[in-house]
Amino acid sequence: MIKFHQVSKYYKPDTVALNKVSLEIKPGEFVSIVGQSGTGKTTVIRLLIAEEKPSEGRIMIGGWDITDIKEREVPYLRRQIGVVFQDFKLLKKKTVFENVAFALETCGAPSGKIEHIVPQVIKIVGLEGKEGRYPYQLSGGEQQRVVIARSLVHKPKLLVADEPTGNLDSINAREIIDLLKKINDLGTTVILVTHDRDVVNSLKRRVITLDQGEIISDQSKGRYVL
Amino acid sequence: MFLLEFGRVLKFAGQSFLRNFWLSVATITIVILALFSVSSVLIFNFMTGHVLSVVEAKTDVYIDLTGEASEEQAAVLVDELKKLSAVKEVEFINPEATLENFRQRHQDNPLIIQSLDALETNPFLGSLRLNVYKIEDFPVILAELSKKEYSQFLDIEDKEFTDSKILVQGISEYSAKIQRAGLFVSLLFVLISILVVFNTIQVGIYTHREEIGIMKLVGASNSFIRSPFLIEGIVYSFISIIILTAILFPVLAFLQPYVDGFFKEYSTSLVSLMTRNIFKVVGVQLLVAVVITVASSYIAVRKYLKV
Repeated sequence: MIKFHQVSKYYKPDTVALNKVSLEIKPGEFVSIVGQSGTGKTTVIRLLIAEEKPSEGRIMIGGWDITDIKEREVPYLRRQIGVVFQDFKLLKKKTVFENVAFALETCGAPSGKIEHIVPQVIKIVGLEGKEGRYPYQLSGGEQQRVVIARSLVHKPKLLVADEPTGNLDSINAREIIDLLKKINDLGTTVILVTHDRDVVNSLKRRVITLDQGEIISDQSKGRYVL
Repeated sequence: MFLLEFGRVLKFAGQSFLRNFWLSVATITIVILALFSVSSVLIFNFMTGHVLSVVEAKTDVYIDLTGEASEEQAAVLVDELKKLSAVKEVEFINPEATLENFRQRHQDNPLIIQSLDALETNPFLGSLRLNVYKIEDFPVILAELSKKEYSQFLDIEDKEFTDSKILVQGISEYSAKIQRAGLFVSLLFVLISILVVFNTIQVGIYTHREEIGIMKLVGASNSFIRSPFLIEGIVYSFISIIILTAILFPVLAFLQPYVDGFFKEYSTSLVSLMTRNIFKVVGVQLLVAVVITVASSYIAVRKYLKV
């Protein structure tokens, strides 16, 4: 599914975000990438969604070499990856329904399909009845659910979550993690970037630990080791 | 597919316009002010053009006949001159009328009038009154009249010719200066307007920068993100022009007495001037507004598309 081969990312003048990282994630896996702040976790996400390009090495997603991806190909890549951010990144002037529908509208999905799929994913994340609300009318947990719903409308094979519980209380955080597990159980590969020890330990899934831009541990049923 | 995407772009443009209503109102107000200054310059140019054409129409040149020219020869000369395409009107003025014209034109010069009174007979042998379509053509026509076949009948080396020539040159230069100044002021106003509108739209799109980034992250193409902003720019332009045109007519009617007081007999109705040139005015407004708003939006959005 995902292959990082000797991937490095440098920032001028002398910051090393990732240093010769190699990893492979198989379809259907639930992988947590952990590490302290500034260890390169978010850089992995940014490389996966082509927000950045690697300084060295190669990155493959589902057989597609995105190392030197062209600017015009980036939207097509992003439509195939669901992304969940810590700060939600919702369109403030759009309702819940419109935020979720927007991801489909960008790729020219017909209106009938949008009307059919959007209510379904809104139901999956438990926001039925709140379709007409704007983001400011929702709690943090609800906003994160909208983001997850938006990331699911393309039925992506890969869902990437960058600190999805970082802005949430423990109850909401638990619910979001349960939702991610549910999505993974339905066959979607999930990459969770976090430094929440409790979340990682409760998952009992694969854990990759980064430190100073290098992988220091990769356990199939791991715990938060730092 | 294209129609579906275009429909969505229109929908997003409409939503953005309405959901950022006060920002839209502020932008439209700035565009109206910019177009108002452009329109004012245009109307000023039309007015000066009108004044110059009135001055040109009223400018006649009198050329005295020599002693060798009889009335019959003068009539032949009039016919010949009428054949020149640049000449609008030629008229033979008999000696008595020539004397009367001369007195009127020099009534402020007591020395000439006294000298004339000292003479017992009419010194004039008649003259030709010339009027042309374009004031710049006068020197050319006068040069034509200096040719041998005419020169024996026309006294074109006298002061009358020189006075006319100076007057004609003066008006031509004045006209050119006004046009140059008009062009300079127009360009200055257009430049200021462009900068003001450009900055307003930049600020407007700055407020959308986060939204643009999010759109990119969920897989929207650059053209899909950019198009609603460009459509919004066009909508701003059209609304501004409609409002401005509605405002402009009452403003012109209000200004009419002041313009009449300034230009006096050379004045004309501003409303009818505007009505006669409505397509030019709206055309320039449309061109300026659409180019500025669309170019500003394009440049501003481009800055935030690099995600």
